[in-house]
Amino acid sequence: MKTSVDNFFKDQWLPYAFMAPVFLYLVLFDFIPLLNELYLSFTSTSLLSPRQHTWVGLDNYRELFRSSDFIHAIWITTIYTLACVALALGIGLGAAILMDSPFVGRGVARALVTLPWAAPPVAVALIFTWIYNAQYGVFNFAQKMLGFDAFENWLDTPQRALMAILIATIWQIFPFASVVILSALQGVPKELREAAAIDGAGRFAIFRAVVWPTILPTVMILGLFITIWSLRRFDLIWLLTQGGPIGATNTLVIELYRKAFVYRDLGAGAAVGMIGLAVALVITVIHARVSSRLEAENK
Amino acid sequence: MSQGLRRKFLAGIAAGVALAPWLIASDARAQAAAKTTITFAGVTFSEAGRGDKLRAWVDKFNKSQDKIEVQSVGLPFATFANTMFTQMGGGGGPDLIRFDTIDFYAAVPAGRLLPFDDYIKDADYKFSAPNDYLKSNGKRYGMAFEISNYVMMYNPALLKDGKVPATFDELLAVTKAATGNGIFGYAYRATMAERNGFWQDLCNFVFGFGGRWGDGTNLTLNSPKVVEGIAAYKRMYESGAIPKGADAATYRRMFWESKVAIEVDNGGVAGIFNQQAPNLAFMAAPSPFPTRAQGLILAPLTVNANTKNKDAAFTFIKWALQPDNQKELQDLLGASSVATAVPRSAEDLAKKPWLKVYDDQTANAVPQLVQGFEVRTPELQQIIIEQVLKVLQGGMDPQKAMDEAQELGLAKMKK
Amino acid sequence: MSALPNALRITTVLALLVLAGFPFYWMFVTSLTPSSQLFASTPQFWPVWSEAGVYREAFQKIPVATWLLNSLIVAAGTTILALSIALFPAYALSRFKFAGKGVMGLSLFATQMLPEAMLVVPLYALFGQFNLLNTLTALILANTAFTVPVVVWILKGAIDGVPEEIEEAARIDGCSPAGIVWRIILPLIAPTLAAASVIAFFHGWNEYVFAQTLVSSESLRTASVGLAGFVGELSTPIHTVMSIAVIYTVPAIIFYLFVQKYVVGGMTAGGVKG
Repeated sequence: MKTSVDNFFKDQWLPYAFMAPVFLYLVLFDFIPLLNELYLSFTSTSLLSPRQHTWVGLDNYRELFRSSDFIHAIWITTIYTLACVALALGIGLGAAILMDSPFVGRGVARALVTLPWAAPPVAVALIFTWIYNAQYGVFNFAQKMLGFDAFENWLDTPQRALMAILIATIWQIFPFASVVILSALQGVPKELREAAAIDGAGRFAIFRAVVWPTILPTVMILGLFITIWSLRRFDLIWLLTQGGPIGATNTLVIELYRKAFVYRDLGAGAAVGMIGLAVALVITVIHARVSSRLEAENK
Repeated sequence: MSQGLRRKFLAGIAAGVALAPWLIASDARAQAAAKTTITFAGVTFSEAGRGDKLRAWVDKFNKSQDKIEVQSVGLPFATFANTMFTQMGGGGGPDLIRFDTIDFYAAVPAGRLLPFDDYIKDADYKFSAPNDYLKSNGKRYGMAFEISNYVMMYNPALLKDGKVPATFDELLAVTKAATGNGIFGYAYRATMAERNGFWQDLCNFVFGFGGRWGDGTNLTLNSPKVVEGIAAYKRMYESGAIPKGADAATYRRMFWESKVAIEVDNGGVAGIFNQQAPNLAFMAAPSPFPTRAQGLILAPLTVNANTKNKDAAFTFIKWALQPDNQKELQDLLGASSVATAVPRSAEDLAKKPWLKVYDDQTANAVPQLVQGFEVRTPELQQIIIEQVLKVLQGGMDPQKAMDEAQELGLAKMKK
Repeated sequence: MSALPNALRITTVLALLVLAGFPFYWMFVTSLTPSSQLFASTPQFWPVWSEAGVYREAFQKIPVATWLLNSLIVAAGTTILALSIALFPAYALSRFKFAGKGVMGLSLFATQMLPEAMLVVPLYALFGQFNLLNTLTALILANTAFTVPVVVWILKGAIDGVPEEIEEAARIDGCSPAGIVWRIILPLIAPTLAAASVIAFFHGWNEYVFAQTLVSSESLRTASVGLAGFVGELSTPIHTVMSIAVIYTVPAIIFYLFVQKYVVGGMTAGGVKG
């Protein structure tokens, strides 16, 4: 297939040929199952007999919005997701700037600080369960050393459980943010970055004027990915608290799992999933608007 | 550098392409074997101590057969039923499954289990009474794989003046006195992360105080006796004698390291303590509640309706019901009993005095279900546990919490 | 240029390192704490080396080696499959203008919103039809469906950063579009491939929901399910669990350290353009 430069761009089938394998793949493994779930969300279907459906229209959705548990789950998901984004980006940005500045042993430090990213969530859940143990956990021990009364297991205390889950989550995900931001920082001229890192007086000004605009697009897209991933994070939360106590860590995905697999109600589970998906799509659209405006302002 | 990396990438792809046929072939190998291979899934296989012995028991069957091989599959307790139901609903799943009662009652009406009647005649075996719970509309859908009672286990060395509590007030006093210096008087579960275990412990308190979740036709979540049981759960929670938030795996380990004085637990746990900590001289006594009623673990062995090897599956069940094999199973399970009555040896009873306490509890054992609403137990369980957590952690009044539970339960049951 | 910020910086770096490293350290120390010391009011802060036998036991008594091998096959398979099918679409999204591009881009992104727990039931039925249940192949295919979109996005970003002029010469020489991607683009974005491989590998290595449901026989169990299995009904020896957690974590760390130097920089592009 020899083509000239002109033909190359005029060949209208080429892009589709390039896209086709992945697209077919995703249709098969993501979109057909998704449509299946969309249909299920309008039916009453048991996990034990997923091929027998009774059409119930919008009943599953109506039921959800009538239930205070579900509204609470949306609320918890919102707090959890916002906190994940803010803290992972904040700590990730701080870590990235720190790791960008020259110091002895920087290479090693860069590798070590991002290691939590490599920890499997199942292992993370197990070690944090033990760290948080009320009687023998090092977390409460540290609190007692600092002079606090610490007798409660945070995972088991309604006011603290979400915080405890967030600590474990942020520990796990901030390295990813930091790696991506650190990569983006490489796009800023070296002298400027060094000046921003060392010169105390003008540091913030330089950061604001030069560094931030360069890395902003990265931070924005990263924020979107962290949002989406936080909305669907399952194993860590399920293994630490199963959404409890009293719904304190009950995010939408946990609610989905409970409805579909514990109550065996696939229809209700699918409805929760569809609402979660709608939330994610709305966030994506808002994000696209905001980021294009921000980028325009910074140009 | 990037040229080198590209080569590595290409090499990686090449390796992947080369690997693919092997991968598929090895998958196929795992599926096909010379014998009829059937799978047997249960949480017991993955337990420390009992798991290995149970595998050995299954292997004994395999050695006795030349056409059938049973593969044991251990799965995590927390997600066992979810995984089974997903697989069974999707047309697959293991051939033989050891369920918990609550899941058994969900699987039967959905038509997910095979009736035994074509293969196993009740008259041919001396099934013990709890096996009757495994019948539906006159048909048998499972045999009791493990029947386990709940009684109070205690570590005499940790009780002040050796006093063994006989009433709930005594229990509070004794556990309180035993607490201190890194030792806790009592332990049970009260976290959502251990929903199923929490439910079992809660049932013991409620049943012990004479309460039942349902009377067969109506929900009785806010009946006085239930509320009393839950108030007692709260008194224990606030007594300062329990390691709050500790999971069962941890506090059972603590019991065996002599850090917990008393717990009410099932006969399987007693068996594990006996096997894993032979030097721990623990004792057993009836649970110190107003009535003798306690929960019953009734774990049926069932045959998946999706099985393609019916005959093989029932060959195994028939083998499991042979008196010798029943006896061996009963011995390895600890203080539990099996489908048919197997008398314990005098030697065993002398060596393990707690065995008799467990056996004597049988007459007062009640399945951990909502009577009359067996199939809907998971949903009711969630409601009840959420409300009890509000009592324990949110300071809600037990009566109010259970009134709400009753209301929520009724609304749910209308659906 | 004062000394203070420098000292402050070093302190902050050290604090960050301690926080990042502590849970790993604690996992390790707990695995090497004698059972009797686990329940002490003051935690055991240093490993007790004489307990190291717990690791040998883990390999002898528990099929950890099989779990790791299965996880490795799934992770490597996911990585190879995702990278190989992502390259050409990434190029198409970066270089071509075509009708439906926006929709395709968005739908790629949308797959990132789907929780595994939602798709596991339909996927179980799908793999059942293909007769792929209870195979590692099913896990590789399912994990790739969740990984390939991110990989496409990252590679697209990298290709955006490659000036088109570089391709001109090859085009004039009559190189086919596929040839250009293969011979010109691929070497230039090699570091990004390394970065993307980290994401794909971790996804395959860590995945839990599919591994638990789509595979049933013990010989095909992955480490995530094996480890979660210890959260048992009865008694779990904590130091055994922690030793297996360590064994499960170490290969991921080794893999990461191996490709880590390519990751910074490689990730740039992925972030730059949305």
